[in-house]
Amino acid sequence: MPKKYHLHAKATPLDLEYVFKFKIVRGENCINCGKCSRVCIYEVHKRRKDDPRKMADPNTVLCRNCFRCIQECPRGALEKSLAKDFLNIGGSYWKPDMLISLWKQAEDGKVPVTGAGYRGPFTGPGFDSMWTDMSEIVRPTRDGIHGREYISTSVELGRKLNHLTFDSNGKLLSKTYDSVDLPLPIIFDIPADNLGANVRSALVEAAAEINTCIVIPADNITPDFEKHSKHIIPCVPYKEIDRCQSVIKKARIVAVEYSDALLGELPRVQETIKSIGGALTIIRVPASRDVETIVSRLTHAGAGIIHVVGDYRGLEVGGPAGSNPRLLKDIIRAVHLRLVDERVRDEVTLIFSGGIAMAEHVPKAMLCGADLTAIDLPLLVAIGARLYEEPKKLLILPEELEKIPVQIVRQRIVNLMVAWHSQLLEVMGAMGIREARRLRGETGRAIFFDEIDNDTFGKLFKRGDAARV
Amino acid sequence: MPSRFKHQVPKYKVTRSDACINCGTCAKTCPYGVHERIEGHNRVKPPIDYKCIGFECQNRDFCCVKKCPRKALSLSPNPMYETLGDCRWTADMITATWIMAETGYPPKRADLEYNVGNSGGGFDKLRLKFPANPAPVDPSEISTAIELNRRHDGRADIVISIPVYGGGMSFGSVSLATMVSRARNASLWNTFSCTGEGGYPEMLKPYDDYMITQVATGLFGVREETIQRVKIVEFKYAQGAKPGLGGHLLGEKNTESVAKMREAVKGTSLFSPFPFHSVYSIEDHKKHIDWIKQMNPKALVSVKVSTPNDVDMVAVGSYYAGAHIIHIDGGYGGTGAAPDIAKKNIAMPIEYAITKVHNFLKAEGARDAMTLIASGGIRTAHDLAKAICLGADGAVIGTAELVALECVRCGNCESGRGCARGIASTDSELADLFAPEWATQRLTNLYNAWNVQLVEILQKFGMKSVKELVGRTDLLEHVDYSK
Repeated sequence: MPKKYHLHAKATPLDLEYVFKFKIVRGENCINCGKCSRVCIYEVHKRRKDDPRKMADPNTVLCRNCFRCIQECPRGALEKSLAKDFLNIGGSYWKPDMLISLWKQAEDGKVPVTGAGYRGPFTGPGFDSMWTDMSEIVRPTRDGIHGREYISTSVELGRKLNHLTFDSNGKLLSKTYDSVDLPLPIIFDIPADNLGANVRSALVEAAAEINTCIVIPADNITPDFEKHSKHIIPCVPYKEIDRCQSVIKKARIVAVEYSDALLGELPRVQETIKSIGGALTIIRVPASRDVETIVSRLTHAGAGIIHVVGDYRGLEVGGPAGSNPRLLKDIIRAVHLRLVDERVRDEVTLIFSGGIAMAEHVPKAMLCGADLTAIDLPLLVAIGARLYEEPKKLLILPEELEKIPVQIVRQRIVNLMVAWHSQLLEVMGAMGIREARRLRGETGRAIFFDEIDNDTFGKLFKRGDAARV
Repeated sequence: MPSRFKHQVPKYKVTRSDACINCGTCAKTCPYGVHERIEGHNRVKPPIDYKCIGFECQNRDFCCVKKCPRKALSLSPNPMYETLGDCRWTADMITATWIMAETGYPPKRADLEYNVGNSGGGFDKLRLKFPANPAPVDPSEISTAIELNRRHDGRADIVISIPVYGGGMSFGSVSLATMVSRARNASLWNTFSCTGEGGYPEMLKPYDDYMITQVATGLFGVREETIQRVKIVEFKYAQGAKPGLGGHLLGEKNTESVAKMREAVKGTSLFSPFPFHSVYSIEDHKKHIDWIKQMNPKALVSVKVSTPNDVDMVAVGSYYAGAHIIHIDGGYGGTGAAPDIAKKNIAMPIEYAITKVHNFLKAEGARDAMTLIASGGIRTAHDLAKAICLGADGAVIGTAELVALECVRCGNCESGRGCARGIASTDSELADLFAPEWATQRLTNLYNAWNVQLVEILQKFGMKSVKELVGRTDLLEHVDYSK
């Protein structure tokens, strides 16, 4: 059994105000009776420090929407509404509630828990159109979250053999490939390029602490990152491998951007990188319309690890305007099934990224066929970044972020990953799956909305079908 | 039974501008008491928004906006209303449930859409399809009773008067007042309420005949004596809100009284593990059921499971293992605290599972011997009717009962001292926010309103018994597919 993988969360509040959902305003007709401060259990309402005869403005950030003050104010003097900030932030993919949840997970590293059932829509696009299955009675579940059974979340990166061959004496003839083990099916991807030195250091240190890797452009790797080189995946233009020898030498994995020209030279490029310091190669491919063809060609050409990069909302990239871009869920399934059809799926490791925004996206991406995922924006939301989708993508980092000590930024990113790891365990435990590697392409443990809705309601209510039933 | 609070959540906002001359015309004309002018006061009081019936009033003669001689009044939607509810339990649905709990009847207001929610799927896409000329039926002839023992195996022949009973909520997750009032309501309606997993408080003793006691994986508070007290024992294998994850009572909620009931140490977090580590097959499952049947020779056995892909097999397995009731709990319901990731993602919504289980039991020839109960997202009487049309015999409700007790679904059941509204809290101060008498009447009213609606639905279908409705998918239509 592998060594237990354990992450440590630590409550790490940031001294800045993030987006909040509810805004409470005290009206003119308040008589300062203090009823609100007596009924609120969240301490939103307090008397003014300088003049205790009067009520202070509500500390609306703390409001948990219980309506007690609203309903019990003798004068009906309090009004509540959705905060403007809340209504404006994010967009149709990065929903405001999601951003707040990520922020909270970074504060304490805990699994988000609420009462009173699910409150979201029945289904939605992309990952929201699938559910994960669970086990009951006849299939053993795994009690991972309470720590009584060990659930391994580790994955292997690298080329694999389809089968082994032996000579007549039983001696292994096949040449096996090297691989890199990561204890979490998540790597950090190139974050925004305008980050301060403290954030970049914190990202690298966090990746090292949780024992995963972070992709960084080779030219941005400064000497102070040296002690963490095992956790850095330098991203190099394939024509400049020689120039980047020093960083490649220390890395376990190196990333190379795909281009058509690369395809012909792939074996040589992988070989060169390996000869420098033994590193494996990731080919980064944009999630374009023909991505499955590119991935297939790369696999047949001997690629070990392919990273398919979607846009920040998990959409296909590079399509003409007005085209209907596929969503990451469908891209993953298409790529995975293409390689399954060609009987080469087991030989290559597939990483997917773009729109991996919540913990649930990791197991769902894997059920669709990913070996692991890469994340970027959630790491920045963890430290207070605000994301806007409309009118176009806008990422605003908090003011004075550069003054926050590295260890605080690092701990918040670690916290987020602790929460995601715990949630991954919850989902895997419920499914009765004890090895993250077994999630890959395991659609038998997924329930897809299109299929089940059509199977149930389609059969019952579609005119033509109903006649046949 | 009116609200415990001075104000309710307003849907509309009545604004009085500076043009007001305090003539008091509005106070005289409004029959709902939105405007008030106290004798001897110079100024009319600020409008009490929640009493306003909204835009439909503009067609009435007494509408204040029209009557005001200075045009100083205006009406608009209240932004506060957007902070109430969500797309599954809309603000209208919560408001309507409150009105039902207050009056005992469905609201007459035309501006509340309270039969369907806004989730964009499942029940919210299904509609009841009433025939143009149903057979005439007198409402007094219509029965909403269902039997729970369809095996007729010599055990208690239990009939409940309404095809609904209360879901399991443990002492610890809800207050004693909540628990007692639910039990008392069950006895008044000749149906059941459930202890959940967390012991069987002595105060429930008078309602033994109307209680289901739960045996769940932590076995908290389960004793031979509690099994023998009741008419129905429920095995909880899983619950819809956190399928495959077991239960978890946070340390803060494990107060002295809770700990005593559960025979645990105060302040420690209590886990009900998942799964039953003694059950890994249908044979093991049968052993469990036999164990209960031996201990209580009259009791019926209910099996509560959530909704994985193979829920149909589990249901048939439970039939062969000797269970009377198969209770399937879908993913979108739940009252207590659960991880968001589980509520949203794990296992299928109840609408699919009902159809799946009903058809599979039928194909196996076992449907007539089993009572199929659905839960996890049954919010309204219409949801109930739709669930029955899809194949359930009846339903279990939880959230609707809590909303009747003025839950606002803020979702903070688990945090800190617990429920700010005193429903799901054992905090010494918060748990005393209401009396069981008040709560019982609210629940009884809610059940009455649902029953009125259900009878009305059956009448429109020309049916005399709710049993005729089971599996009648031909009486439903789907807004996307049935075109």
